[in-house]
Amino acid sequence: MRHKIIDEIAHSVVAVGGADNVIRALVESTARGTEAKGCSLSTLKDADTKLVHRISCGISEGYLREGQILTDDALGRVLGGSPLIVWEVAADHRLIRKEELQREGITSIVFLPFRDQHKVRGIMCLFFSERRKFDREELEFLDSIAELGGIILDRAETEERLEKEAEEARRELARIKDERRHFLGFLSMVTHDLKSPLVAVQGYLKMLLRKSADRLDERMVKGIHRSIQRIDGMMELISSLLELSRLESGQVLLELKTVSWEEVLGAAVETAHELAAPKGIVVATEIRRPLPEVFASDIRLQQVILNLVSNSVRFTPRGGRITIRARCENDTVTVSVEDEGTGIEPDKLPHVFEEFYKGDPESPEGTGLGLSICKRIVDMHRGGIWAESPVRETGRGTRFTFSIPVGVTCRLEDRWMLEENKVKPSSIASGQSGETK
Amino acid sequence: MGKKILLADDDPDVAEVVSMLLEDEGYEVVTAKDGAETLEKIKLENPDLIILDLLMPHVDGFAVFNMLRDPRYERWSKIPVIILTSVRQEVGNRRYELETGRRMNYSAYLEKPPDHDELLETVSSLIEAED
Repeated sequence: MRHKIIDEIAHSVVAVGGADNVIRALVESTARGTEAKGCSLSTLKDADTKLVHRISCGISEGYLREGQILTDDALGRVLGGSPLIVWEVAADHRLIRKEELQREGITSIVFLPFRDQHKVRGIMCLFFSERRKFDREELEFLDSIAELGGIILDRAETEERLEKEAEEARRELARIKDERRHFLGFLSMVTHDLKSPLVAVQGYLKMLLRKSADRLDERMVKGIHRSIQRIDGMMELISSLLELSRLESGQVLLELKTVSWEEVLGAAVETAHELAAPKGIVVATEIRRPLPEVFASDIRLQQVILNLVSNSVRFTPRGGRITIRARCENDTVTVSVEDEGTGIEPDKLPHVFEEFYKGDPESPEGTGLGLSICKRIVDMHRGGIWAESPVRETGRGTRFTFSIPVGVTCRLEDRWMLEENKVKPSSIASGQSGETK
Repeated sequence: MGKKILLADDDPDVAEVVSMLLEDEGYEVVTAKDGAETLEKIKLENPDLIILDLLMPHVDGFAVFNMLRDPRYERWSKIPVIILTSVRQEVGNRRYELETGRRMNYSAYLEKPPDHDELLETVSSLIEAED
Protein backbone atom coordinates (compact mmCIF):
# COMPACT_ATOMS: atom_id res chain seq x y z
CA MET A 1 0.00 0.00 0.00
CA ARG A 2 2.80 2.40 0.94
CA HIS A 3 4.34 2.02 -2.55
CA LYS A 4 1.01 2.49 -4.25
CA ILE A 5 0.24 5.69 -2.36
CA ILE A 6 3.70 7.11 -2.91
CA ASP A 7 3.52 6.29 -6.59
CA GLU A 8 0.12 7.94 -6.88
CA ILE A 9 1.33 11.10 -5.15
CA ALA A 10 4.47 11.24 -7.28
CA HIS A 11 2.41 10.88 -10.42
CA SER A 12 -0.12 13.60 -9.68
CA VAL A 13 2.32 16.01 -8.06
CA VAL A 14 4.78 15.86 -10.97
CA ALA A 15 1.98 16.38 -13.46
CA VAL A 16 0.99 19.60 -11.74
CA GLY A 17 4.29 21.08 -10.62
CA GLY A 18 7.02 19.85 -12.89
CA ALA A 19 9.66 17.52 -11.50
CA ASP A 20 12.35 20.07 -10.59
CA ASN A 21 9.90 22.27 -8.68
CA VAL A 22 8.50 19.27 -6.85
CA ILE A 23 11.93 18.04 -5.77
CA ARG A 24 12.88 21.50 -4.56
CA ALA A 25 9.62 21.75 -2.60
CA LEU A 26 10.24 18.28 -1.18
CA VAL A 27 13.74 19.17 0.04
CA GLU A 28 12.66 22.51 1.50
CA SER A 29 9.53 21.24 3.22
CA THR A 30 11.35 18.22 4.65
CA ALA A 31 13.94 20.59 6.14
CA ARG A 32 11.22 22.82 7.60
CA GLY A 33 9.11 19.93 8.84
CA THR A 34 12.00 18.30 10.68
CA GLU A 35 13.35 21.66 11.86
CA ALA A 36 16.65 20.78 10.24
CA LYS A 37 19.29 23.42 9.48
CA GLY A 38 19.38 22.24 5.91
CA CYS A 39 18.63 19.46 3.52
CA SER A 40 20.43 18.32 0.38
CA LEU A 41 19.88 15.88 -2.37
CA SER A 42 22.59 14.22 -4.41
CA THR A 43 22.03 11.72 -7.16
CA LEU A 44 23.98 8.99 -8.89
CA LYS A 45 25.17 9.67 -12.42
CA ASP A 46 27.16 7.96 -15.16
CA ALA A 47 25.92 4.41 -14.62
CA ASP A 48 25.87 4.96 -10.84
CA THR A 49 29.61 5.60 -10.59
CA LYS A 50 29.35 9.23 -9.52
CA LEU A 51 27.34 10.94 -6.86
CA VAL A 52 26.63 14.58 -7.67
CA HIS A 53 24.90 17.35 -5.78
CA ARG A 54 21.51 18.23 -7.23
CA ILE A 55 19.54 20.51 -4.95
CA SER A 56 19.76 21.83 -1.39
CA CYS A 57 18.66 24.41 1.13
CA GLY A 58 20.24 25.85 4.27
CA ILE A 59 23.78 24.68 3.42
CA SER A 60 26.54 27.02 2.26
CA GLU A 61 27.86 26.74 -1.26
CA GLY A 62 31.33 26.32 0.18
CA TYR A 63 30.39 22.99 1.63
CA LEU A 64 28.38 21.70 -1.31
CA ARG A 65 30.94 22.30 -4.06
CA GLU A 66 30.48 21.34 -7.68
CA GLY A 67 31.01 17.97 -9.27
CA GLN A 68 31.52 14.54 -7.82
CA ILE A 69 31.04 13.85 -4.13
CA LEU A 70 33.64 11.59 -2.59
CA THR A 71 31.92 8.56 -1.21
CA ASP A 72 33.07 7.82 2.31
CA ASP A 73 32.02 4.85 4.41
CA ALA A 74 28.88 6.64 5.58
CA LEU A 75 27.66 7.45 2.07
CA GLY A 76 28.64 4.01 0.86
CA ARG A 77 26.39 2.44 3.41
CA VAL A 78 23.44 4.64 2.46
CA LEU A 79 23.92 3.87 -1.22
CA GLY A 80 23.65 0.26 -0.17
CA GLY A 81 20.05 1.00 0.80
CA SER A 82 20.11 1.61 4.58
CA PRO A 83 19.38 4.89 6.28
CA LEU A 84 22.14 6.18 8.52
CA ILE A 85 22.09 8.55 11.44
CA VAL A 86 25.19 10.33 12.62
CA TRP A 87 24.51 11.67 16.12
CA GLU A 88 27.78 13.39 16.60
CA VAL A 89 29.68 14.51 13.53
CA ALA A 90 32.82 15.23 15.51
CA ALA A 91 33.01 11.73 16.89
CA ASP A 92 32.15 9.71 13.78
CA HIS A 93 35.10 8.16 12.00
CA ARG A 94 33.04 7.24 8.91
CA LEU A 95 32.90 10.86 7.71
CA ILE A 96 35.80 12.25 5.68
CA ARG A 97 34.75 15.93 5.71
CA LYS A 98 34.26 16.22 9.41
CA GLU A 99 36.01 19.61 9.78
CA GLU A 100 33.96 21.20 7.04
CA LEU A 101 30.74 19.91 8.60
CA GLN A 102 31.72 21.35 11.94
CA ARG A 103 32.55 24.68 10.32
CA GLU A 104 29.03 24.65 8.88
CA GLY A 105 27.76 24.24 12.43
CA ILE A 106 26.38 20.77 11.86
CA THR A 107 26.12 18.34 14.73
CA SER A 108 23.83 15.53 13.53
CA ILE A 109 23.08 14.20 10.04
CA VAL A 110 20.41 11.83 8.78
CA PHE A 111 21.28 10.11 5.51
CA LEU A 112 18.38 8.58 3.64
CA PRO A 113 18.65 6.43 0.52
CA PHE A 114 16.78 8.07 -2.32
CA ARG A 115 15.27 5.21 -4.28
CA ASP A 116 12.59 4.48 -6.80
CA GLN A 117 10.87 1.12 -7.27
CA HIS A 118 14.04 -0.42 -8.67
CA LYS A 119 17.15 0.87 -6.99
CA VAL A 120 18.91 3.52 -4.95
CA ARG A 121 19.29 6.65 -7.06
CA GLY A 122 20.91 8.99 -4.61
CA ILE A 123 21.01 10.30 -1.08
CA MET A 124 18.92 12.78 0.83
CA CYS A 125 20.73 14.38 3.76
CA LEU A 126 19.15 16.22 6.65
CA PHE A 127 21.59 18.44 8.59
CA PHE A 128 20.95 19.50 12.19
CA SER A 129 22.87 22.05 14.20
CA GLU A 130 22.05 20.36 17.51
CA ARG A 131 22.09 16.69 18.49
CA ARG A 132 18.93 15.20 17.22
CA LYS A 133 17.36 11.81 17.98
CA PHE A 134 14.84 10.00 15.82
CA ASP A 135 12.61 7.13 16.77
CA ARG A 136 11.88 4.28 14.38
CA GLU A 137 8.53 5.70 13.25
CA GLU A 138 9.98 9.08 12.38
CA LEU A 139 12.79 7.45 10.50
CA GLU A 140 10.41 5.29 8.53
CA PHE A 141 8.36 8.30 7.62
CA LEU A 142 11.43 10.17 6.40
CA ASP A 143 12.40 7.08 4.46
CA SER A 144 9.01 7.22 2.70
CA ILE A 145 9.54 10.88 1.83
CA ALA A 146 12.92 10.00 0.34
CA GLU A 147 11.32 7.22 -1.63
CA LEU A 148 8.72 9.66 -2.93
CA GLY A 149 11.58 11.85 -4.07
CA GLY A 150 13.22 8.91 -5.80
CA ILE A 151 10.11 8.13 -7.77
CA ILE A 152 9.67 11.77 -8.72
CA LEU A 153 13.23 11.80 -9.95
CA ASP A 154 12.59 8.69 -11.99
CA ARG A 155 9.57 10.33 -13.58
CA ALA A 156 11.47 13.51 -14.24
CA GLU A 157 14.15 11.60 -16.05
CA THR A 158 11.63 9.63 -18.09
CA GLU A 159 9.94 12.87 -19.04
CA GLU A 160 13.22 14.46 -19.97
CA ARG A 161 14.08 11.47 -22.13
CA LEU A 162 10.69 11.53 -23.86
CA GLU A 163 10.94 15.26 -24.42
CA LYS A 164 14.42 14.80 -25.87
CA GLU A 165 13.15 12.08 -28.18
CA ALA A 166 10.23 14.25 -29.25
CA GLU A 167 12.62 17.11 -29.88
CA GLU A 168 14.82 14.85 -31.99
CA ALA A 169 11.78 13.70 -33.98
CA ARG A 170 10.78 17.32 -34.57
CA ARG A 171 14.28 18.19 -35.73
CA GLU A 172 14.31 15.20 -38.06
CA LEU A 173 10.96 16.22 -39.54
CA ALA A 174 12.21 19.77 -40.05
CA ARG A 175 15.33 18.40 -41.69
CA ILE A 176 13.30 16.23 -44.09
CA LYS A 177 11.06 19.16 -44.97
CA ASP A 178 14.10 21.31 -45.50
CA GLU A 179 15.72 18.70 -47.71
CA ARG A 180 12.55 18.39 -49.72
CA ARG A 181 12.41 22.10 -50.21
CA HIS A 182 16.03 22.17 -51.28
CA PHE A 183 15.39 19.29 -53.63
CA LEU A 184 12.49 21.08 -55.29
CA GLY A 185 14.64 24.18 -55.61
CA PHE A 186 17.42 22.07 -57.05
CA LEU A 187 15.04 20.53 -59.60
CA SER A 188 13.95 23.96 -60.74
CA MET A 189 17.55 25.01 -61.13
CA VAL A 190 18.38 21.88 -63.10
CA THR A 191 15.43 22.39 -65.44
CA HIS A 192 16.48 25.95 -66.03
CA ASP A 193 20.15 25.14 -66.56
CA LEU A 194 19.51 22.15 -68.83
CA LYS A 195 17.09 24.04 -71.00
CA SER A 196 18.89 27.38 -71.25
CA PRO A 197 21.57 26.20 -73.70
CA LEU A 198 18.91 24.49 -75.79
CA VAL A 199 16.86 27.68 -75.95
CA ALA A 200 19.98 29.57 -77.07
CA VAL A 201 20.98 27.03 -79.75
CA GLN A 202 17.46 26.75 -81.05
CA GLY A 203 17.22 30.54 -81.17
CA TYR A 204 20.23 30.74 -83.50
CA LEU A 205 18.88 27.94 -85.70
CA LYS A 206 15.56 29.74 -86.04
CA MET A 207 17.42 32.93 -86.91
CA LEU A 208 19.50 31.07 -89.46
CA LEU A 209 16.34 29.84 -91.18
CA ARG A 210 14.76 33.25 -90.99
CA LYS A 211 17.70 35.15 -92.44
CA SER A 212 19.40 32.69 -94.73
CA ALA A 213 16.95 30.00 -95.79
CA ASP A 214 17.08 31.23 -99.39
CA ARG A 215 20.85 30.79 -99.49
CA LEU A 216 20.77 27.17 -98.26
CA ASP A 217 19.84 24.12 -100.30
CA GLU A 218 16.63 22.29 -99.57
CA ARG A 219 18.23 19.41 -97.66
CA MET A 220 20.08 21.80 -95.38
CA VAL A 221 16.88 23.73 -94.64
CA LYS A 222 15.13 20.46 -93.84
CA GLY A 223 18.03 19.50 -91.58
CA ILE A 224 17.78 22.73 -89.64
CA HIS A 225 14.03 22.24 -89.29
CA ARG A 226 14.72 18.76 -87.92
CA SER A 227 17.32 20.17 -85.51
CA ILE A 228 14.77 22.62 -84.14
CA GLN A 229 12.29 19.76 -83.70
CA ARG A 230 14.87 17.56 -82.00
CA ILE A 231 15.69 20.34 -79.57
CA ASP A 232 11.96 20.73 -78.85
CA GLY A 233 11.83 16.99 -78.15
CA MET A 234 14.78 17.22 -75.80
CA MET A 235 13.27 20.14 -73.90
CA GLU A 236 10.06 18.19 -73.61
CA LEU A 237 11.96 15.21 -72.24
CA ILE A 238 13.74 17.36 -69.66
CA SER A 239 10.40 18.86 -68.62
CA SER A 240 8.79 15.44 -68.31
CA LEU A 241 11.66 13.94 -66.32
CA LEU A 242 11.65 16.83 -63.93
CA GLU A 243 7.90 16.73 -63.81
CA LEU A 244 8.10 13.12 -62.65
CA SER A 245 10.69 13.99 -60.01
CA ARG A 246 8.51 16.83 -58.83
CA LEU A 247 5.52 14.56 -58.52
CA GLU A 248 7.70 12.02 -56.68
CA SER A 249 8.93 14.61 -54.24
CA GLY A 250 5.44 15.72 -53.32
CA GLN A 251 5.22 19.02 -55.16
CA VAL A 252 1.64 18.24 -56.09
CA LEU A 253 0.69 18.32 -52.41
CA LEU A 254 1.73 21.94 -52.25
CA GLU A 255 -0.92 22.77 -54.79
CA LEU A 256 -3.90 21.06 -53.20
CA LYS A 257 -6.96 23.22 -52.66
CA THR A 258 -10.68 23.12 -53.26
CA VAL A 259 -11.13 23.16 -57.01
CA SER A 260 -14.18 23.08 -59.19
CA TRP A 261 -14.27 20.25 -61.68
CA GLU A 262 -16.29 22.44 -64.03
CA GLU A 263 -13.52 25.05 -64.06
CA VAL A 264 -10.85 22.38 -64.52
CA LEU A 265 -12.71 20.98 -67.52
CA GLY A 266 -13.49 24.42 -68.91
CA ALA A 267 -9.82 25.40 -68.94
CA ALA A 268 -8.71 22.01 -70.26
CA VAL A 269 -11.23 22.01 -73.10
CA GLU A 270 -10.18 25.51 -74.13
CA THR A 271 -6.53 24.42 -74.37
CA ALA A 272 -7.57 21.17 -76.06
CA HIS A 273 -9.10 23.19 -78.92
CA GLU A 274 -5.78 25.02 -79.31
CA LEU A 275 -3.87 21.74 -79.41
CA ALA A 276 -6.20 20.13 -81.93
CA ALA A 277 -6.90 23.05 -84.26
CA PRO A 278 -3.53 23.10 -86.09
CA LYS A 279 -4.12 19.48 -87.18
CA GLY A 280 -7.69 20.17 -88.24
CA ILE A 281 -9.04 17.97 -85.47
CA VAL A 282 -12.39 18.76 -83.87
CA VAL A 283 -12.79 18.58 -80.10
CA ALA A 284 -16.28 17.58 -79.00
CA THR A 285 -17.44 17.58 -75.37
CA GLU A 286 -20.12 15.71 -73.47
CA ILE A 287 -19.94 17.12 -69.97
CA ARG A 288 -22.79 16.18 -67.68
CA ARG A 289 -23.25 19.06 -65.24
CA PRO A 290 -23.29 19.78 -62.41
CA LEU A 291 -19.85 18.55 -61.40
CA PRO A 292 -18.71 18.75 -57.77
CA GLU A 293 -15.79 20.48 -56.14
CA VAL A 294 -12.84 18.39 -55.08
CA PHE A 295 -9.78 18.78 -52.89
CA ALA A 296 -7.09 18.49 -55.51
CA SER A 297 -4.54 20.25 -57.66
CA ASP A 298 -6.33 22.03 -60.50
CA ILE A 299 -3.10 22.40 -62.50
CA ARG A 300 -2.43 18.67 -62.30
CA LEU A 301 -5.97 17.61 -63.17
CA GLN A 302 -5.85 19.83 -66.24
CA GLN A 303 -2.47 18.38 -67.04
CA VAL A 304 -3.89 14.84 -67.02
CA ILE A 305 -6.66 15.82 -69.46
CA LEU A 306 -4.28 17.75 -71.71
CA ASN A 307 -1.67 14.98 -71.76
CA LEU A 308 -4.41 12.61 -72.89
CA VAL A 309 -5.64 15.08 -75.50
CA SER A 310 -2.21 15.74 -76.96
CA ASN A 311 -1.61 12.01 -77.05
CA SER A 312 -4.84 11.61 -79.02
CA VAL A 313 -3.97 14.51 -81.31
CA ARG A 314 -0.75 12.74 -82.22
CA PHE A 315 -2.53 9.58 -83.33
CA THR A 316 -5.65 11.04 -84.89
CA PRO A 317 -5.64 11.76 -88.63
CA ARG A 318 -6.37 15.26 -89.96
CA GLY A 319 -10.07 16.02 -89.88
CA GLY A 320 -10.70 13.51 -87.09
CA ARG A 321 -12.53 14.06 -83.85
CA ILE A 322 -11.60 13.86 -80.17
CA THR A 323 -14.35 13.61 -77.58
CA ILE A 324 -13.94 14.69 -73.97
CA ARG A 325 -16.58 13.31 -71.62
CA ALA A 326 -17.13 13.96 -67.93
CA ARG A 327 -19.73 12.95 -65.38
CA CYS A 328 -20.13 12.40 -61.66
CA GLU A 329 -21.62 9.21 -60.29
CA ASN A 330 -21.44 7.62 -56.85
CA ASP A 331 -19.17 10.40 -55.54
CA THR A 332 -16.66 9.74 -58.27
CA VAL A 333 -15.86 12.01 -61.20
CA THR A 334 -15.01 10.15 -64.39
CA VAL A 335 -13.36 11.87 -67.33
CA SER A 336 -12.56 10.24 -70.65
CA VAL A 337 -10.74 11.29 -73.79
CA GLU A 338 -11.64 9.32 -76.89
CA ASP A 339 -10.10 9.53 -80.35
CA GLU A 340 -10.66 8.05 -83.78
CA GLY A 341 -7.00 7.29 -84.25
CA THR A 342 -5.08 4.20 -85.22
CA GLY A 343 -5.65 2.58 -81.86
CA ILE A 344 -3.16 0.69 -79.70
CA GLU A 345 -2.15 -2.89 -80.52
CA PRO A 346 -3.40 -5.38 -77.92
CA ASP A 347 0.12 -6.47 -76.90
CA LYS A 348 1.11 -2.87 -76.29
CA LEU A 349 -1.97 -1.83 -74.36
CA PRO A 350 -0.85 -3.15 -70.94
CA HIS A 351 2.39 -1.15 -71.14
CA VAL A 352 1.18 2.31 -72.09
CA PHE A 353 1.43 3.72 -68.55
CA GLU A 354 5.00 2.52 -68.09
CA GLU A 355 7.77 5.10 -68.01
CA PHE A 356 9.57 5.68 -71.31
CA TYR A 357 7.21 3.30 -73.11
CA LYS A 358 6.56 4.39 -76.66
CA GLY A 359 4.22 2.45 -78.93
CA ASP A 360 6.47 3.31 -81.85
CA PRO A 361 10.04 3.62 -80.58
CA GLU A 362 11.10 5.12 -83.94
CA SER A 363 8.66 8.00 -83.64
CA PRO A 364 10.42 11.32 -83.10
CA GLU A 365 7.39 12.62 -81.27
CA GLY A 366 6.66 12.13 -77.60
CA THR A 367 8.90 11.19 -74.71
CA GLY A 368 7.13 8.09 -73.45
CA LEU A 369 6.52 9.84 -70.15
CA GLY A 370 3.22 11.62 -70.66
CA LEU A 371 0.95 8.76 -69.72
CA SER A 372 3.07 7.72 -66.75
CA ILE A 373 2.83 11.29 -65.50
CA CYS A 374 -0.96 11.02 -65.90
CA LYS A 375 -0.99 7.81 -63.90
CA ARG A 376 1.17 9.33 -61.17
CA ILE A 377 -1.13 12.34 -60.82
CA VAL A 378 -4.28 10.21 -60.80
CA ASP A 379 -2.73 7.89 -58.18
CA MET A 380 -1.96 10.87 -55.98
CA HIS A 381 -5.61 11.83 -56.13
CA ARG A 382 -6.55 8.28 -55.12
CA GLY A 383 -8.10 7.60 -58.48
CA GLY A 384 -7.64 5.13 -61.32
CA ILE A 385 -6.79 5.42 -65.00
CA TRP A 386 -7.19 2.91 -67.80
CA ALA A 387 -7.10 2.59 -71.57
CA GLU A 388 -9.43 0.88 -74.03
CA SER A 389 -8.55 0.15 -77.63
CA PRO A 390 -10.44 -0.23 -79.84
CA VAL A 391 -13.30 1.67 -78.23
CA ARG A 392 -16.13 -0.78 -77.54
CA GLU A 393 -18.95 1.28 -79.03
CA THR A 394 -17.21 2.29 -82.26
CA GLY A 395 -14.78 -0.55 -82.81
CA ARG A 396 -11.89 1.83 -83.49
CA GLY A 397 -9.65 4.46 -81.89
CA THR A 398 -8.60 4.64 -78.24
CA ARG A 399 -10.30 5.83 -75.10
CA PHE A 400 -8.46 6.83 -71.94
CA THR A 401 -10.60 7.12 -68.82
CA PHE A 402 -9.72 8.26 -65.34
CA SER A 403 -11.87 8.57 -62.26
CA ILE A 404 -11.19 10.47 -59.06
CA PRO A 405 -13.25 10.23 -55.89
CA VAL A 406 -14.91 13.33 -54.46
CA GLY A 407 -13.86 14.43 -50.98
CA VAL A 408 -10.47 14.84 -49.38
CA THR A 409 -8.30 12.93 -51.74
CA CYS A 410 -4.74 13.64 -50.81
CA ARG A 411 -2.94 10.67 -49.35
CA LEU A 412 -3.07 10.49 -45.59
CA GLU A 413 0.60 9.68 -45.14
CA ASP A 414 1.52 12.82 -47.00
CA ARG A 415 -0.88 15.03 -45.11
CA TRP A 416 1.75 16.66 -42.93
CA MET A 417 3.27 18.19 -46.01
CA LEU A 418 0.28 20.41 -46.44
CA GLU A 419 1.81 22.65 -43.83
CA GLU A 420 4.34 23.58 -46.43
CA ASN A 421 1.66 25.54 -48.18
CA LYS A 422 2.70 28.39 -45.98
CA VAL A 423 6.23 28.28 -47.28
CA LYS A 424 7.22 30.46 -50.16
CA PRO A 425 7.55 28.16 -53.13
CA SER A 426 11.12 27.75 -54.21
CA SER A 427 9.83 26.18 -57.36
CA ILE A 428 10.61 28.49 -60.17
CA ALA A 429 9.57 25.78 -62.51
CA SER A 430 10.52 26.30 -66.05
CA GLY A 431 8.38 25.34 -68.97
CA GLN A 432 6.48 22.16 -68.35
CA SER A 433 4.30 21.88 -71.36
CA GLY A 434 1.42 19.54 -70.96
CA GLU A 435 2.25 18.27 -74.39
CA THR A 436 4.17 15.20 -73.49
CA LYS A 437 3.05 11.99 -75.03
CA MET B 1 12.96 56.85 -86.01
CA GLY B 2 13.05 53.28 -84.68
CA LYS B 3 11.46 52.57 -81.35
CA LYS B 4 13.78 51.64 -78.50
CA ILE B 5 13.44 48.28 -76.78
CA LEU B 6 15.24 47.38 -73.55
CA LEU B 7 16.03 43.66 -73.52
CA ALA B 8 16.92 42.20 -70.12
CA ASP B 9 18.33 38.67 -70.21
CA ASP B 10 21.34 37.17 -68.49
CA ASP B 11 21.87 34.62 -71.28
CA PRO B 12 24.05 36.39 -73.87
CA ASP B 13 22.93 34.05 -76.65
CA VAL B 14 19.24 34.56 -76.01
CA ALA B 15 19.94 38.31 -75.91
CA GLU B 16 21.85 38.09 -79.19
CA VAL B 17 19.13 36.12 -80.99
CA VAL B 18 16.31 38.37 -79.81
CA SER B 19 18.39 41.50 -80.59
CA MET B 20 19.04 40.22 -84.11
CA LEU B 21 15.36 39.50 -84.58
CA LEU B 22 14.27 42.94 -83.37
CA GLU B 23 17.02 44.91 -85.11
CA ASP B 24 16.12 43.27 -88.42
CA GLU B 25 12.67 44.77 -87.94
CA GLY B 26 14.19 48.21 -87.46
CA TYR B 27 13.97 48.48 -83.67
CA GLU B 28 16.78 49.92 -81.60
CA VAL B 29 17.77 47.38 -78.96
CA VAL B 30 19.49 48.11 -75.65
CA THR B 31 20.47 45.13 -73.51
CA ALA B 32 20.91 44.55 -69.78
CA LYS B 33 22.30 41.39 -68.23
CA ASP B 34 20.83 41.62 -64.73
CA GLY B 35 18.13 43.38 -62.78
CA ALA B 36 20.29 46.21 -61.47
CA GLU B 37 21.50 47.06 -64.96
CA THR B 38 17.91 46.88 -66.21
CA LEU B 39 16.74 49.48 -63.69
CA GLU B 40 19.69 51.72 -64.55
CA LYS B 41 19.02 51.47 -68.28
CA ILE B 42 15.32 52.18 -67.84
CA LYS B 43 16.20 55.59 -66.38
CA LEU B 44 19.05 56.20 -68.78
CA GLU B 45 17.53 55.02 -72.04
CA ASN B 46 13.83 55.67 -71.55
CA PRO B 47 12.79 52.67 -73.69
CA ASP B 48 9.43 52.33 -75.46
CA LEU B 49 9.13 48.69 -74.43
CA ILE B 50 10.84 46.31 -72.02
CA ILE B 51 11.41 42.61 -72.63
CA LEU B 52 12.15 41.12 -69.23
CA ASP B 53 13.58 37.75 -68.24
CA LEU B 54 12.51 36.67 -64.75
CA LEU B 55 15.45 34.56 -63.62
CA MET B 56 18.50 36.78 -63.55
CA PRO B 57 21.39 36.99 -61.06
CA HIS B 58 21.39 39.47 -58.14
CA VAL B 59 18.23 41.49 -58.76
CA ASP B 60 15.82 39.25 -60.65
CA GLY B 61 13.03 40.12 -63.04
CA PHE B 62 10.36 39.83 -60.33
CA ALA B 63 12.14 42.54 -58.34
CA VAL B 64 12.55 44.73 -61.43
CA PHE B 65 8.87 44.39 -62.20
CA ASN B 66 7.98 45.25 -58.63
CA MET B 67 10.33 48.25 -58.64
CA LEU B 68 8.55 49.66 -61.72
CA ARG B 69 5.47 50.00 -59.48
CA ASP B 70 7.50 52.08 -57.00
CA PRO B 71 6.87 55.88 -56.96
CA ARG B 72 10.54 56.45 -57.83
CA TYR B 73 9.89 54.81 -61.17
CA GLU B 74 6.54 56.46 -61.79
CA ARG B 75 7.79 58.10 -64.98
CA TRP B 76 8.50 54.68 -66.44
CA SER B 77 5.60 52.75 -64.96
CA LYS B 78 3.54 52.97 -68.15
CA ILE B 79 6.17 51.33 -70.36
CA PRO B 80 4.73 48.03 -71.62
CA VAL B 81 6.58 44.96 -70.31
CA ILE B 82 6.81 41.62 -72.11
CA ILE B 83 7.93 38.83 -69.78
CA LEU B 84 10.15 36.42 -71.73
CA THR B 85 11.18 33.58 -69.46
CA SER B 86 11.49 29.85 -68.96
CA VAL B 87 9.27 30.15 -65.88
CA ARG B 88 5.79 28.81 -66.61
CA GLN B 89 3.21 31.56 -66.61
CA GLU B 90 1.10 30.26 -63.72
CA VAL B 91 4.21 29.65 -61.62
CA GLY B 92 5.51 33.14 -62.34
CA ASN B 93 2.16 34.70 -61.50
CA ARG B 94 1.82 32.72 -58.29
CA ARG B 95 5.32 33.53 -57.10
CA TYR B 96 4.90 37.25 -57.76
CA GLU B 97 1.57 37.30 -55.97
CA LEU B 98 2.96 35.44 -52.98
CA GLU B 99 5.94 37.75 -52.71
CA THR B 100 4.24 41.09 -53.29
CA GLY B 101 0.55 40.44 -52.66
CA ARG B 102 -0.18 41.99 -56.05
CA ARG B 103 -1.05 40.71 -59.49
CA MET B 104 1.68 40.83 -62.07
CA ASN B 105 0.06 43.06 -64.68
CA TYR B 106 2.49 42.66 -67.54
CA SER B 107 1.50 43.41 -71.14
CA ALA B 108 2.37 39.93 -72.36
CA TYR B 109 3.94 36.74 -71.06
CA LEU B 110 5.95 34.54 -73.41
CA GLU B 111 7.58 31.30 -72.35
CA LYS B 112 10.97 30.29 -73.72
CA PRO B 113 11.68 29.16 -76.32
CA PRO B 114 9.69 31.92 -77.98
CA ASP B 115 8.12 31.61 -81.37
CA HIS B 116 9.87 34.36 -83.30
CA ASP B 117 6.81 35.47 -85.25
CA GLU B 118 4.72 35.56 -82.09
CA LEU B 119 7.38 37.63 -80.33
CA LEU B 120 7.55 40.13 -83.19
CA GLU B 121 3.77 40.39 -83.41
CA THR B 122 3.50 40.99 -79.66
CA VAL B 123 6.20 43.67 -79.80
CA SER B 124 4.70 45.50 -82.76
CA SER B 125 1.14 45.42 -81.44
CA LEU B 126 2.27 46.86 -78.08
CA ILE B 127 4.38 49.56 -79.66
CA GLU B 128 1.61 50.54 -82.07
CA ALA B 129 -0.89 50.66 -79.21
CA GLU B 130 1.37 53.20 -77.51
CA ASP B 131 1.31 55.66 -80.42
